[in-house]
Amino acid sequence: MRKSTEIVVIGGGATGCGVIYDLAQRGFRCLQLERGGLSMGTSGRFHGLLHSGGRYVTNDPQAAVECIEENMILRKTMPHAIEDTGGLFVTTPWDPLDFADLFYKGCLNCGVPVEELGIAEMLQREPLLNPKISRSFYVPDATVDTWEACRALVATAREYGAETLTFHEVTDLLVDNNQVTGVVAKNRITGEETSIDCDMVINATGAWGGQLAKMAGCEVTVYAGKGTMIAMNYRMVNTVINRCLPPDDGDIIVPVRTVAVIGTTSVRVADPDDYAIEDWEIKLMMDEGEKLVPSFKKFRPLRVWAGVRPLYQEKSEGTDLRDVTRAYTLLDHATRDGVEGFITITGGKWVTHRQMAEKTVDLVCRKLDTERLCQTATTALKNPDGQKYYTLGERLHHLESGELKGQLICECELVTRPQIETVMAQHEGNIINDLRRDLRLGMGPCQGGFCTYRAAGILHEQKNLSAYETNKALVDFLQERWKGITSIMWGPQLRQALLDEGIFLGLLGLDKLPAELSGVESPRLGEVETEGIYEIGVDPSLEIHD
Amino acid sequence: MSGLTTACQLAQARQKVLLIAHGIGALLLASGCIDVLGFQPADSRKPVKNPLNSLDSFLKERPDHPYHYVGRKHIEAGLEAFQRLTNHDSLDYQGSVERNWLLPSAIGALRPTCLAPASLANGDLSRGGRMLIVGFKELRDFYPALISQNLNAQDLGIQTDALTITLPPIPVADDMNVTPIELAHVFERPNFRANVVKAIGRHHKNYDRIGFPAVLGIQHHAEVIADLEKQLGKRIFEISTLPPSVPGRRLFDVLRQTFGQAEGRLIIGSKVVDGVIEKGQVRQIHFETANGLKPVTGKNYVLATGGIYGGGIQSDSDGAVGRVWEPIFDLPVEADQNRHNWFATGFLDSKGQPFAGYGVKVNDKLNPVNDSGNALAENLYIAGATIAGADWTRGRTGDGVALATASAIVEQIVG
Repeated sequence: MRKSTEIVVIGGGATGCGVIYDLAQRGFRCLQLERGGLSMGTSGRFHGLLHSGGRYVTNDPQAAVECIEENMILRKTMPHAIEDTGGLFVTTPWDPLDFADLFYKGCLNCGVPVEELGIAEMLQREPLLNPKISRSFYVPDATVDTWEACRALVATAREYGAETLTFHEVTDLLVDNNQVTGVVAKNRITGEETSIDCDMVINATGAWGGQLAKMAGCEVTVYAGKGTMIAMNYRMVNTVINRCLPPDDGDIIVPVRTVAVIGTTSVRVADPDDYAIEDWEIKLMMDEGEKLVPSFKKFRPLRVWAGVRPLYQEKSEGTDLRDVTRAYTLLDHATRDGVEGFITITGGKWVTHRQMAEKTVDLVCRKLDTERLCQTATTALKNPDGQKYYTLGERLHHLESGELKGQLICECELVTRPQIETVMAQHEGNIINDLRRDLRLGMGPCQGGFCTYRAAGILHEQKNLSAYETNKALVDFLQERWKGITSIMWGPQLRQALLDEGIFLGLLGLDKLPAELSGVESPRLGEVETEGIYEIGVDPSLEIHD
Repeated sequence: MSGLTTACQLAQARQKVLLIAHGIGALLLASGCIDVLGFQPADSRKPVKNPLNSLDSFLKERPDHPYHYVGRKHIEAGLEAFQRLTNHDSLDYQGSVERNWLLPSAIGALRPTCLAPASLANGDLSRGGRMLIVGFKELRDFYPALISQNLNAQDLGIQTDALTITLPPIPVADDMNVTPIELAHVFERPNFRANVVKAIGRHHKNYDRIGFPAVLGIQHHAEVIADLEKQLGKRIFEISTLPPSVPGRRLFDVLRQTFGQAEGRLIIGSKVVDGVIEKGQVRQIHFETANGLKPVTGKNYVLATGGIYGGGIQSDSDGAVGRVWEPIFDLPVEADQNRHNWFATGFLDSKGQPFAGYGVKVNDKLNPVNDSGNALAENLYIAGATIAGADWTRGRTGDGVALATASAIVEQIVG
């Protein structure tokens, strides 16, 4: 297939979605490519914190200023994706005492609203926090539902005429005479290739930015800084809790919907697509969690994941990743590398994606010599259902009052069959995973033991899939989930795993479906001799006689 | 399963039996059938036809499996005892250890099993013919079209079709979210059944058998089936659904009743927290009550607390180091200390999950042993999934282990 547009944006994370929205709103013809689904890379693999900037006031004031500016803007433009949890910075007995004053001063300098709370007041607000905490500061941290946000950005961009192609992997950048002239992308589901002619390409691929820039012959050094997070089965705090110390591993607990997420580590990895979660990371975070919430280890780790932060550095020196700026970088490859029509926007935080997009599109305007005003800071995003940020309590209320109708398919996260059918109608590809992102299906304490089978059954009915496609979607989802939990499986989580084994192997016999029906190869199948073959014939005893 | 069946047999043999259970066990999560050996080799996907014939080759491949301690004799005796214990008006377990039924699962895979309640055994696929699988819009735990397509795609020589009907009004609070157990109660009403038959209309006429999710009655299950068969003029069968399992519930109710009739004493909802072993004998155990810990003293003790799933084996971790223990007597447990070795990389790995086999080390008498193989307490017996190597997933042997170890323990205690 061949297409043509003015500007191609590569990347479907928060940055790419922000850029396509801004471009579209300023009237550019534009098209976005993402190799997976929206927000499936780093943007979907963080703890969900909408920084107030407090974390960076001492070591990276520029990042802190950007964070607080954007935090205030996003609360207005995408309120339905944000929960105003507030945040606390607390000094535990393990933290340097003198840092608290530095922190407070830093907040004032960077314009981050801050208020010191008495310990009694803090404990009233968050009773499970360590009573030995000596100081406590309130800042406007919040949490964001990245999938909701990226969906809204792209939906709004579409209203302005932009096109988004997910599951399209860029295989080549076309460069003619030092000018980028187009992009070749491959549909990862159908295998079809699309060639897109354009005037400009924006590289918003985060930690993958270096790989993409290479296709245009540009050297860009983006470190992949792996951060590992653990979701605990209980929302043990309602406020984001930060350790009041210079940024470190395991220094934050973020309440997200029904769970609490502890994060993160920071480890440089060579390949953003290939990294492992290490035992020491898990152990460290469980130990650190215990310092903030003394009963932390009594809760059950539900799942663990890691994301790769894009950390840009012009010089490839320096080893401690926490010293690399979290502020973003905008590169015009025309001036930097002599390649026209190619821009890289990288680094930054989730919370600064809008500002990054604004600066990027400002550069686009300058390069194309046109003046168009950015309005993304003052216009609210499309919110199709006009919904507010939902809570589980709200879903329950709607269910009980009969406003939310239909069968409850995921009992942990209160997801109904009509909701599932709506999402199924919108997506292609591995749909059970989309259900997880869009509706949080299977994200609760049972980890999909019950709802995944139900979702597969509905998928089969609704989408008219073959048995093979349905079984495979089920198997793939279970395998993906398995990968996310083995490193935190012990105690009650291990019991849960055995319940799920009992369901999928014992009751359903999913592992015994032939390979051509489930896609699961059996290494020994060919050499297995089985005793006795069942003869199938009509049994006369089945007849019923009156 | 192992606790209840051991207790029933001992009580029937005029022993004074106290059964203390923390909960009602895993029966509500199981299919309600008795799996003795479904696949050999364990990673094969072709079901075993005659478990007894395949037993030797299975044991050769699995030198650590609890069947080694009890042998063929107790597998057979255990199943016989089970059939005796469950001989009840509403429950009729059919089959033998020499032939597996080939039952369809709720996804349309094959489940080989030795004993099944008549209603499930009627689903035996080896009997061939045309089957109609009926589901209900209101029941979210059963998808007949998927079952039917998976069955048809396996070249079994049977032809199945699916039908989803809307049920007559269900007298429960939330009819779209009815649970299998609730529905099973509703099916005991003759009016309701008559309306279900109306809703099926004439769709079933061209079939030899009609399959339903296993929700056809609880206490009066046999009556429900007989009535539906009469009204529809066809053989009816059931397919086990997701938990809570109605066949499991029927079984639990019958075993509990059997135990009561034999004058066994049952305490459900209390946890045994510790036991005292002195000079090779258990002297006493303590269990939780609302009024603090209470001691119990007995002549013999049977530990049937299940494996990791049942809570009979506990686990914890500190980084890469994993700890696995038996919480009541702190008995030596067979388990890998490196937590990385607990899991296979694939959820459906054909070699199974190593952790599923972790349990208490025992000798031929099913007494717990130390590392040198010496019995730690001669009046303490370990039953079922608590025993090391009792990984039911590999080969599908879970119920067989429960019943065979129960039989072996009963023999030693009663003589």
